[in-house]
Amino acid sequence: MLLLSNHAKMIKVIFLYMKKLYQTRKKISFLNMKSVKQHSPLSRLVISSLAFLFFFSLNLSAQGDPANGEKLFKSICAACHKLDAKLVGPALKGVTERRDQAWLIAWIKDSPGMIKSGDKLAIQVFEENNKLPMIANPQLSDQDIIDILEYTKGAPVAAVAAGTTEVDPGVERGKQVFKTNCAACHKLDGKLIGPPLLHIEKKYDAAWLKLWIKDNAALIASGDPLAKTASEYSPIAMTPFPQLTDQDIDDLLKYMAVGDVAPVVAATSADQEIFNKPGIGIIPTLAITIGVLLLLSLIVAATTNRKVGEEDEESGVSVLKTLIFNPFVRFLAVIFFLLLGAWFAFGYLMQIDVNVGYQPIQPIVFSHAVHSGDNKIDCQYCHSSAKNSKTSGIPSANVCMNCHKSISEYKGELFGNNTKEDLDKEIQKLYDAVGWDKTNVKYIEGYEQKPIEWVRIHNLADFAYYNHAQHVTVAGVQCQTCHGPVQEMHDMKQFSPLTMGWCIDCHRTTAVDLTKNGYYKNIHDQLSKKYGVEKVTVAEMGGLECAKCHY
Amino acid sequence: MKNILKISIALAFLFTLSSCWLDKTKPNYQYMPDMYKPVGYETYSVNPNFSDGRTSQQPVEGTIARGKVPYDYADTTEGYDSALVNLKNPLEVNEENLANGKAMFTIYCISCHGAAGVGDGELVKRDKFLGVPNYKDRPITEGSIYHVIMYGRNLMGSHASQLTDKERWQVVMYVQQLRNELLK
Ligand code: HEC
Ligand code: HEC
Ligand code: HEC
Ligand code: HEC
Ligand code: HEC
Ligand code: HEC
Repeated sequence: MLLLSNHAKMIKVIFLYMKKLYQTRKKISFLNMKSVKQHSPLSRLVISSLAFLFFFSLNLSAQGDPANGEKLFKSICAACHKLDAKLVGPALKGVTERRDQAWLIAWIKDSPGMIKSGDKLAIQVFEENNKLPMIANPQLSDQDIIDILEYTKGAPVAAVAAGTTEVDPGVERGKQVFKTNCAACHKLDGKLIGPPLLHIEKKYDAAWLKLWIKDNAALIASGDPLAKTASEYSPIAMTPFPQLTDQDIDDLLKYMAVGDVAPVVAATSADQEIFNKPGIGIIPTLAITIGVLLLLSLIVAATTNRKVGEEDEESGVSVLKTLIFNPFVRFLAVIFFLLLGAWFAFGYLMQIDVNVGYQPIQPIVFSHAVHSGDNKIDCQYCHSSAKNSKTSGIPSANVCMNCHKSISEYKGELFGNNTKEDLDKEIQKLYDAVGWDKTNVKYIEGYEQKPIEWVRIHNLADFAYYNHAQHVTVAGVQCQTCHGPVQEMHDMKQFSPLTMGWCIDCHRTTAVDLTKNGYYKNIHDQLSKKYGVEKVTVAEMGGLECAKCHY
Repeated sequence: MKNILKISIALAFLFTLSSCWLDKTKPNYQYMPDMYKPVGYETYSVNPNFSDGRTSQQPVEGTIARGKVPYDYADTTEGYDSALVNLKNPLEVNEENLANGKAMFTIYCISCHGAAGVGDGELVKRDKFLGVPNYKDRPITEGSIYHVIMYGRNLMGSHASQLTDKERWQVVMYVQQLRNELLK
């Protein structure tokens, strides 16, 4: 994947420069240099910074940008190619595994020229494809082509074929989508409400799955036979997910094709992702680059010093000393620690007042997994004000008592370190609060009720306005989208960061449901006319205006 | 040697910095939270100004909040019998009301009464909550259904606090529809 051809020139320049430097100095070649001390600090500084630049730039453009690739692919290639099927030209998925990159770049830029020049592979491809010549694209830069090639890798089957050596960043994203949307009803490797989903792409094809996930009800209604059999799996209809984009679903399919990847591999994929997203990600990569450089130079210094040691019979201490006083090593160390420091400091600053994972100890061990998971009680049964008001509210004890008048002991599956007695005591706490006499099954007369002091978890700063009804009733967003897989949590915790960036991201990507919503019909019609599209995101509707959230 | 010392101090410092928020049962640090906390009392917060120490108070006796409809039938057997014959649904039977009635039924009633109203909800199936009747087995009218949602009956609790007046009537409408289907 490394774009060596792009760097060939640069490497050459650096090498030439180094060679010259070393040859003029006592004709010691680079690898056999006797002692680092023999070179002037200046020349070493120049070399090291050049080397640094080289490694850095190598890293920077090593990664193709699939988003740009997709754009280009759609505008230039899609006339004759599809990713996963033959059109005029061959299917391009996994083309980078069949052919080498340099060849591909040359081919895409000027395939007629290549055929004329007698390149064997080029002629073979030409003949395999009915001798239809491919249009030359001299306007594309090398980087553009790499982006396109990166995009051709991005399909689910390619990820499987590629095996575990390389993890597509889409898999991680898909996992996130899965966790927030599907995990309520599906597991990868076992039955939940819905069927297990690992390798589902082998059972159904991707295009069909897309339709099904977005709106399975419509698919069933359309009389699709596959959909009908699928719907018979369970009487519970699957939630439609019109809010998922094609990209989301592609990622999702990728994730379901490979499943959970071992953490080590996942870590490398995170490294590869670093340059896809700007911001903090750049710093760790820099740090890694410098770390590698540091290691390299340590090795070089150590080996050269050993030679010095052999000749001059110096002790081990002086080896360490030369190491420490070696300006090259020091220079790198300083940069390394500065960057590391900056990275930690920035990371620390960014997480101030972000409470992801906040999990206070509640006065009653109340398990959402027992109530909403095992017993399938709807979220709004308890959080009943979510549908009409700004807050979701915490249920008052009378709501609990609707059920717990009759459920006075716990007979379900045990969880955590709790015994049955522990959990019975938790239910008793509820009775103590409201004054319920469970042996006589009635309220104790004249009992002074005590409030249950739940500890609040989600709490926006007071200067930001957030409204549940707007999101739950009007937009139809599932609670789990924002609060995570609550029905699996025994102890409630905060799942989303609740930062402004988080709100805005969702408003940028989420399309407003223009069909069901009578209340806003006028505005919606005007908006879709104005933008000339069927799909209007919340952002286009004005969901990014400061005063919508701050006033 | 000095360098190594310095470096390890710097590292230790950085480590403590990055790992400040270890105890997830306490909230994270805030920086100058001047405008983060509301000046007023929040709905569920403790409040020293009231004798019972809570901010959320009952409405003053004898007052009716805007949009609320007072309910004049008593929570007694006579009240039930009276509602059974006298109380009528003010809403018109139409698609919209039925649709929302169904949505509300699915949230609030389905765990016990089941989707079709035959009394086979999830809680019943799992043997957690028993004694839920089939709607067709009870001589209920729109008035009595509303009354039961308001006050509950025997083991069934009141669902008045979870539903608005209009939503209650929509649910009533939907329950009647279910019952008519069951009686067929
Ligand atoms: C049986 C009643 C009940 C049901 C059903 C229920 N909850 Fe809760 N929920 C509570 C109670 C009580 C608390 C407060 C105690 C706690 O935080 O664990 C709470 C707390 C929460 C909180 C944290 C509130 C805070 O302090 O920030 C969220 C978020 C939440 N619930 C979401 C959900 C979602 C989503 C569902 C549906 C999957 C759901 N709840 C179903 C009773 C319920
Ligand atoms: C719709 C019915 C329903 C409501 C409302 C309800 N519960 Fe429960 N609760 C159950 C069921 C069912 C169980 C499981 C009993 C079993 O498995 O034997 C349970 C179990 C429990 C337990 C023991 C297990 C655990 O989660 O620790 C506690 C404590 C509890 N409930 C507290 C509450 C509180 C507090 C509320 C009010 C916020 C509440 N429940 C509201 C149905 C309900
Ligand atoms: C669009 C994201 C989003 C969705 C969807 C959402 N919530 Fe929330 N929820 C939030 C935010 C943000 C807060 C913090 C609100 C605040 O502090 O003012 C919150 C707070 C809460 C609280 C704490 C008490 C309160 O009302 O402030 C509960 C309980 C809760 N949500 C439950 C739910 C339930 C149940 C649903 C589904 C019916 C749901 N939420 C859907 C974002 C969401
Ligand atoms: C899961 C996605 C999602 C998240 C997260 C989210 N929103 Fe929204 N938001 C929506 C959608 C969808 C709408 C459009 C509702 C409609 O159809 O009018 C919306 C609408 C709004 C509106 C009304 C906008 C208008 O033009 O009238 C406000 C205000 C708002 N959101 C605030 C917030 C705040 C504050 C947060 C973060 C705490 C947040 N939202 C997080 C999806 C989201
Ligand atoms: C979709 C809702 C939304 C919109 C639109 C929005 N914000 Fe915010 N903003 C928030 C939320 C939520 C927070 C709180 C973040 C937190 O507590 O970490 C916030 C925090 C901030 C803060 C940080 C204050 C502090 O002390 O932490 C500033 C400044 C800010 N917003 C400015 C703006 C400006 C300027 C705009 C218009 C360009 C804007 N916001 C639009 C939701 C929004
Ligand atoms: C916690 C379980 C539970 C829930 C939730 C529940 N019910 Fe009931 N319901 C019962 C039980 C138990 C009875 C039988 C009461 C009795 O013995 O008369 C009953 C009886 C009834 C009756 C017949 C009462 C009569 O006059 O004989 C009606 C009507 C009814 N429920 C409506 C509803 C509606 C509407 C909802 C939703 C808002 C609802 N129920 C929610 C448990 C429940």
